Amino acid sequence: MVNRPEIIVEARNLAYHYPGEEATSFPALSGINVAVYRGEYLALIGPNGSGKTTLLKLFNALLVPSDGEVRVEGVSTIDEVEIPRIRRICGMIFQNPDNQLVATTVEEDIAFGLENLALPSAEIRQRVGEVARMLNLEHLLQQPPHLLSGGEKQRVAIAGVLAMQPGCILMDEPTAMLDTASRRDVNDMVRMLRQNHNIAVVHVTHFPEEAAFAERVIVLNQGRLVRQGPPKAVLTDLSLLHSLGLQSTAASELAALLREDGFELPSQLLHNRELVDSLCSLELKS
Amino acid sequence: MFIGTEKLTYTYMSGTPFAATALNEVSFSLGKGEITLIIGPSGSGKSTLIQHLNGLLKPSSGRVYFKGQAIGSDKGELLRLRRRIGLVFQIPEEHFFSETIYDEIAFAPRNLGLAESEVRIRVKDALEKVGLRAEQLQYRHPFQLSAGQKRLVAVASVLSMNPEVLILDEPTAGLDPSHRRNLFALLDNLNRSGGLTVIISTHHLDDVVALAHSVFVLQGGRMVLAGPPSEIFTTREKLYDLGLSLPSVTEIMHSVKEKGLPVKTNIYTLAGARQEINRLKGRPGR
Amino acid sequence: MSRSITLGQYLPGESLIHRLNPRMKILALLLFLILLFSLKTYGGLTALFFIALGMIAVAKVPFRYFLRGLKPILYIVVFALIIYLFFTKGGVVLLRIGFITVESEGVREGIFVIARLFTLILFSLLVTLTTTPLSLTYGMSYFLKPLRYFGLPTEEVAMIMAIALRFIPTLMEESQRLMRAQVARGADFETGSIFRKAKSLVPLIVPLFVSAFRRADELALAMEARGYRLGARRTRMYEDLIAPRDWAVLSFILVLFSAALAFGL
Ligand SMILES: Nc1ncnc2c1ncn2[C@@H]1O[C@H](COP(=O)(O)OP(=O)(O)OP(=O)(O)O)[C@@H](O)[C@H]1O
Ligand SMILES: Nc1ncnc2c1ncn2[C@@H]1O[C@H](COP(=O)(O)OP(=O)(O)O)[C@@H](O)[C@H]1O
Ligand SMILES: [Mg+2]
Ligand SMILES: [Mg+2]
Repeated sequence: MVNRPEIIVEARNLAYHYPGEEATSFPALSGINVAVYRGEYLALIGPNGSGKTTLLKLFNALLVPSDGEVRVEGVSTIDEVEIPRIRRICGMIFQNPDNQLVATTVEEDIAFGLENLALPSAEIRQRVGEVARMLNLEHLLQQPPHLLSGGEKQRVAIAGVLAMQPGCILMDEPTAMLDTASRRDVNDMVRMLRQNHNIAVVHVTHFPEEAAFAERVIVLNQGRLVRQGPPKAVLTDLSLLHSLGLQSTAASELAALLREDGFELPSQLLHNRELVDSLCSLELKS
Repeated sequence: MFIGTEKLTYTYMSGTPFAATALNEVSFSLGKGEITLIIGPSGSGKSTLIQHLNGLLKPSSGRVYFKGQAIGSDKGELLRLRRRIGLVFQIPEEHFFSETIYDEIAFAPRNLGLAESEVRIRVKDALEKVGLRAEQLQYRHPFQLSAGQKRLVAVASVLSMNPEVLILDEPTAGLDPSHRRNLFALLDNLNRSGGLTVIISTHHLDDVVALAHSVFVLQGGRMVLAGPPSEIFTTREKLYDLGLSLPSVTEIMHSVKEKGLPVKTNIYTLAGARQEINRLKGRPGR
Repeated sequence: MSRSITLGQYLPGESLIHRLNPRMKILALLLFLILLFSLKTYGGLTALFFIALGMIAVAKVPFRYFLRGLKPILYIVVFALIIYLFFTKGGVVLLRIGFITVESEGVREGIFVIARLFTLILFSLLVTLTTTPLSLTYGMSYFLKPLRYFGLPTEEVAMIMAIALRFIPTLMEESQRLMRAQVARGADFETGSIFRKAKSLVPLIVPLFVSAFRRADELALAMEARGYRLGARRTRMYEDLIAPRDWAVLSFILVLFSAALAFGL
């Protein structure tokens, strides 16, 4: 690679502790150094309480670092004046679809962020129309959000962020509360964003199958970054994952067990298809 | 029948243009000491059904049974019923109302009229069971927790009531793999040793199908499939049509079989899959 | 979560009344109220009542929503009626119980006041049922604009009102939620004496406030995450254009005014 990819969000020596946190426990985050590059798909995994949500909130300037700094397109989040710009660049999607829709119709909700940017009305309408078409929400524009299904609510939330033309979307377990079909829907959408719009996605998830589709995986534990790398490396490091109480994909876990039993399976296997193909090529039929 | 419904129909906001029939003549029953799964796409009526089982919602028509008796509307009786049937709501935030985690978990035992010394023991015990450390957390506000921790506290707050029946509405959304397995192991354990009857609604089938005695599938407010797991998960097309998925391991076994290897598909755990694949090779698994 | 219908909630629709500019609706409501309170005769009141009914028909909002909206004021109505019946004197004595009398003037006045109250509520409900809360508050903030010169932050006031409106159903939901959460864990709200029942409600009150604030906090977080800042300039998706139909409605009201004046209603 000739020119290095551009950094959108960067944390340097970042630490955060919630006010009133007891001195005995570890801080929510400490000593974090990490960068998010333009257009990349980054998965953030870690046990419950490891600091994933806290990190996203720091990226979006909803929290201010206790120590160190976060820079969004080079601007520190400590800088009050820059906060609107930072929030435009880094949109955020929360886990619970019910708590993030602010308006009384879908259309007004998608427009909310644009209104905050004080764009001209005509442009707001044009952009709302565009993202609604892209995310297949046109038929819902006049509905009140609370009558939508969970998956639809998450799509509206994503539309609201997307309309602001962000450089990076931060998603905090966007699929945790969704059923299989809606989860697939949202995941397809995330991939589409990356491919067609060059938007970086930071995706917090407890589903190893989702992390396996990322380009890079970051592992947090007790507020510290303990590992990062491509999924093929991180998600196949089962001893690390297991020691943190995490798991890899079912395919990868099963492959590891079978390798112990003497099956010759490739070492960096993550997806079901890969496992099934390699098993079949072992010619077990005979 | 221990718990069950007969032609249960429920309509939200009947008599308004927003009327929605969430359950349509649902009849089912389950036995004492069983672990039951209720699955179905979102909006299929799982939460609505569950809230009938401990009398929080009253049928528009039809009946709900507990221990062979129809649940009536006598207030004292309903109260006693709710103290024997514990319900963990789908969204943990819906569950909380206390100032500290300790009070949250102590609420149910205090309602039972237990002495504070006994309450203290129950709280500590419940926190330990779900895998949270009491001394670190118990005096925090329930909302000062990470998403997964909140869910565990919600479960603990019902466990402390020592119910005969425990109903959990999508209990694992947002839990990391080790807490998820820990929760299921706990339920399995309480079921085996204490005869606890467990009802779980979930979208995420990994680690739980192996424990279940029976599975009920809802769609559009109707009960469309019912039976033991081995029956429900043998044909995946039917589930796909309903917008549902299989446990990851079962999915892999189906794909392997499709490729022509003669494996059984009613397998829900990694250990089971390992054994089955080893069998092909003529070597018993460990 | 709960989709309960609350007093005066917006019902989506496409009617002429739905599409009127919210500013115009508020202005029209004000004018109608002025008209209502300046009417002196039964004839005028009846005419206005039928105009209200006509507009309800145009809006295509089922009448039962209005009945529902009238229900909460039933107590006030009964109370007012009693006051008028027994304390307004004049005309023929209709009823005598000991030294208390009901006289015809009291009946006339009482019914007049109540009819006026009903009509007033019909008009107000007509506006709230056909206007989204958000555009309603934007409409109001327009009329508050002059107060800017006296240092009142009208945009923020509008946003606060919008949020408050969004919160009324939330609060009701929240109290139901708390009740359900506690009932599910064996709390007893229903058995025992009234005194006991009232006492058992106490543990609901503090958490209701706490969680209302928490909800507000969460909403604020979601709003902030999307770039909302108190005091910053915002624009709106739909410019607030006054269409010919708005002028038509305004002229209609002015005609009513002149008619009322001309016929001395
Ligand atoms: N508002 C708060 N006040 C105090 N402590 C908090 C607060 N929110 C979170 N914490 C604590 O900070 C730590 C990190 O929380 P965070 O929400 O970032 O975890 P997470 O990785 O997102 O976990 P999960 O997977 O469960 O969502 C946890 O120990 C949690 O208890
Ligand atoms: N409080 C409510 N008011 C009105 N309709 C509701 C309410 N809760 C659920 N519904 C409707 O009832 C149906 C079943 O919902 P629910 O029981 O929550 O399904 P599930 O738990 O399977 O996702 C859906 O169509 C949903 O929109
Ligand atoms: Mg989190
Ligand atoms: Mg549900």
